[in-house]
Amino acid sequence: MALAVPFGQYVPGTSAVHRLDARFKLLIVTSFVFALFMVDGWTGLLLCAVLLLGAYLLARIPLKLALRGFKPILVILIFTFLANTLTLSAGGDAGALTSDLAATGLVAPNFGALPDSIALIGSFGIKPLGALRGLYFVLRILLLISITSLLTFTSSVVALSDALTALMRPLAVLRVPTEDIATMFSIALRFIPLTAEEAEKIMVAQSARAAVFDKGGLIKRARAWVPVMIPLFVNLFRRADELAAAMETRCYTGRGRTHLKVYVLKVSDLVIGCCGALFFVAAGIFL
Amino acid sequence: MLSFQEIGFRYTGAEEPALVDVSFAVEPGAYVVLLGANGSGKSTLARLANALLLPDTGHVEVDGLRADERATLRTVRGLVGVVAQDPDNQIISATVLDDAAFGPENLGLPRDEITRRCAEALATVGLLGFEERDPNTLSGGEKQRLVIAGVLAMDPSYLVLDEPTSMLDSEGRAEVLAAINALRARGHGILHITHDLDYAHDADKLLVLQAGRLVFEGAPDTLLQDEEKLIAYALQVGSGDVTPRQSPCQPRPLAPPDPSLPSLLLRDVAYTYSAGASFAHDALKGADLTVAAGSYTLISGHTGSGKSTLLRIAAGLLVPTSGTTGFSDGSAVTPGTVGIVFQHPEVQLFAQTVGEDILFGPRNLKMDTTGIVDSVLAAVGLEPRRFAQRSPFTLSGGEMRRVAIASILAMRSRFLLLDEPTAGLDAQGRAFVHRLIDELVRQGTGVVVVSHDLSEFVSRAHVHLLLQKGRLYVAGGGAGAGSTAKAGGSAVSATGHLHVAGGA
Ligand SMILES: Nc1ncnc2c1ncn2[C@@H]1O[C@H](COP(=O)(O)OP(=O)(O)OP(=O)(O)O)[C@@H](O)[C@H]1O
Ligand SMILES: [Mg+2]
Repeated sequence: MALAVPFGQYVPGTSAVHRLDARFKLLIVTSFVFALFMVDGWTGLLLCAVLLLGAYLLARIPLKLALRGFKPILVILIFTFLANTLTLSAGGDAGALTSDLAATGLVAPNFGALPDSIALIGSFGIKPLGALRGLYFVLRILLLISITSLLTFTSSVVALSDALTALMRPLAVLRVPTEDIATMFSIALRFIPLTAEEAEKIMVAQSARAAVFDKGGLIKRARAWVPVMIPLFVNLFRRADELAAAMETRCYTGRGRTHLKVYVLKVSDLVIGCCGALFFVAAGIFL
Repeated sequence: MLSFQEIGFRYTGAEEPALVDVSFAVEPGAYVVLLGANGSGKSTLARLANALLLPDTGHVEVDGLRADERATLRTVRGLVGVVAQDPDNQIISATVLDDAAFGPENLGLPRDEITRRCAEALATVGLLGFEERDPNTLSGGEKQRLVIAGVLAMDPSYLVLDEPTSMLDSEGRAEVLAAINALRARGHGILHITHDLDYAHDADKLLVLQAGRLVFEGAPDTLLQDEEKLIAYALQVGSGDVTPRQSPCQPRPLAPPDPSLPSLLLRDVAYTYSAGASFAHDALKGADLTVAAGSYTLISGHTGSGKSTLLRIAAGLLVPTSGTTGFSDGSAVTPGTVGIVFQHPEVQLFAQTVGEDILFGPRNLKMDTTGIVDSVLAAVGLEPRRFAQRSPFTLSGGEMRRVAIASILAMRSRFLLLDEPTAGLDAQGRAFVHRLIDELVRQGTGVVVVSHDLSEFVSRAHVHLLLQKGRLYVAGGGAGAGSTAKAGGSAVSATGHLHVAGGA
């Protein structure tokens, strides 16, 4: 049996975070991200971190899972930190960093008399304040990833695409083809895993013909993918053709549709959603 | 009445018309079976039934309404539901219920009506309780039943089913046939398109399409008992064409193999997907397999029994979690030493010409390529001069299958594994596959076929093994079969877990 390629990372559960209407989850996440980029300084950022940690505990999502999400960008994080910390001009140019900090709007807490830079070897050294700034950026990236992960851990892909669709629906007034976009979402949900599975199958089939994908220089490697990409696209076009026929058979035009799903609005969700969103917007503006 | 009136149709750019002067009708509530070889125009006809294609000449009429008029198009599509071959390309939504609702939503029906229709449609095809499932997690049979439900929710008077079972395993087929019977019981008129004679027996009317022309219309019995006609319509091949089948369910005896030739060995092979994770899944749990040169082994088993995993390991494409693979002379399995023809191998074709595609494997293996294209094309029954320079994408389905098999044969492997090699092929295509395998075996290739279609392969193979829940058993024949196989020079043994199916 071909195992279905896992898509999304929903961790089923019944916690309050799971149960919250996905539309409001989206709203809160959006305002959280807004806050992340708007807060000037550690108070706001640490507040976001604490609240997010609380949400993780409330959702009973093992932090281990969240940590796993950091792996792919580990290099970027380390680079961000080092780039801010290391300097090649230790000893000189004392005022630069302070004005740098002012430029980003980042106010460092007062640690007393921190030297601007500490020379290690010659002019190569570290900047304690820069390290602090690096840490700040790293934490912000981590929070950004954690909040979006929390969203996908606690809402199924279907719930998310339904929520997006629902939030989008008012745009129909502006002649945005919301029905078509919604249908596109659901088709993508179906066909991304299918295509991934198919790509894997074709790759194995070409390996059976002694194709090698991971040897040689860049160009050779890119060329090695041609025998996978061509059949994959040919198949995608065939699929698209048959899918279009299946949709036509069922009278899809993208206009005049009704909907089986109605989105009942729970007052508690509405209150939590709006309060949460307002809170983060306020935090972003005032902290 | 769904009536086709003097339909003619030619695809843009095609030399031959796909349909010529086809007229027939499906009466309300009738069960009509349409037979025809690959490329005879069956799918084209299905697409014409509800105006997905429009005919060049003639027209289709549904209960008095013309299908080709814009004003009535929606009504016609509501009246005639079309289900195609591959369920994966017909499911639109991310949950079962949403997909069943897709059609009624498009018709703009009120919510309670949609709910009612979905419940009824899902009940008819036996998918109640599946509402919130993700279609990607369904089995083939379940997917195809969902497609039928999606069309059924439009409340059609007629259903056109274009080979709805040809992509499914035996379980899925049975499920879909049960669904078709439920449709008949509800009084829908059905046009069932297939090239499988097994479905023709209880039809109210039988139609045969050959090269775009309707060559037969009548009661099933008159045709099914007339072997000459069946052969003439390319629905069956003459008995001289294939090795005669012996008593069903009995593998044929195997002469002791030449001991100087190495065998392919799998010893206590196990494989676990996502090992270590909470959702780890044991696909194989210790399988032993010996394939001698010139032997023919059939492995059968349900979907999910680990067939694909076993084949990938045997071909050296997957490293087993535990256990060993190799040849009896001590050499290792490397790409090319064991050829593998995957299910629907035509999806691997990519090159600009058939010849280039065939040489892909040999070139990767740095083999001497002179004469290979001609000889393997001849082996799969395609004339080299006509086919070597053609683009593989202009070939018919059956021809593509032959080229794909040729591209594997080109590597001159001593062992060949084939996964469902006859799936989707008509009588002639199947006969060709059987002839080819027999010839390879005669020349000393060790062949393993994986298929769920026992009746088709079992009497042709030397040994029949059953893969069940990740273990291999000797099938049929009782304990004797296992020991005979072992005594016969270890042609194929399924020791290790010798739990004889049907016996103990
Ligand atoms: N999109 C297309 N463009 C050009 N020619 C086509 C197209 N689709 C089918 N044909 C050709 O039309 C003829 C009839 O094809 P059709 O798919 O209707 O046959 P079929 O009976 O359904 O075959 P199968 O049993 O393989 O499904 C074939 O010769 C085929 O090559
Ligand atoms: Mg067809």
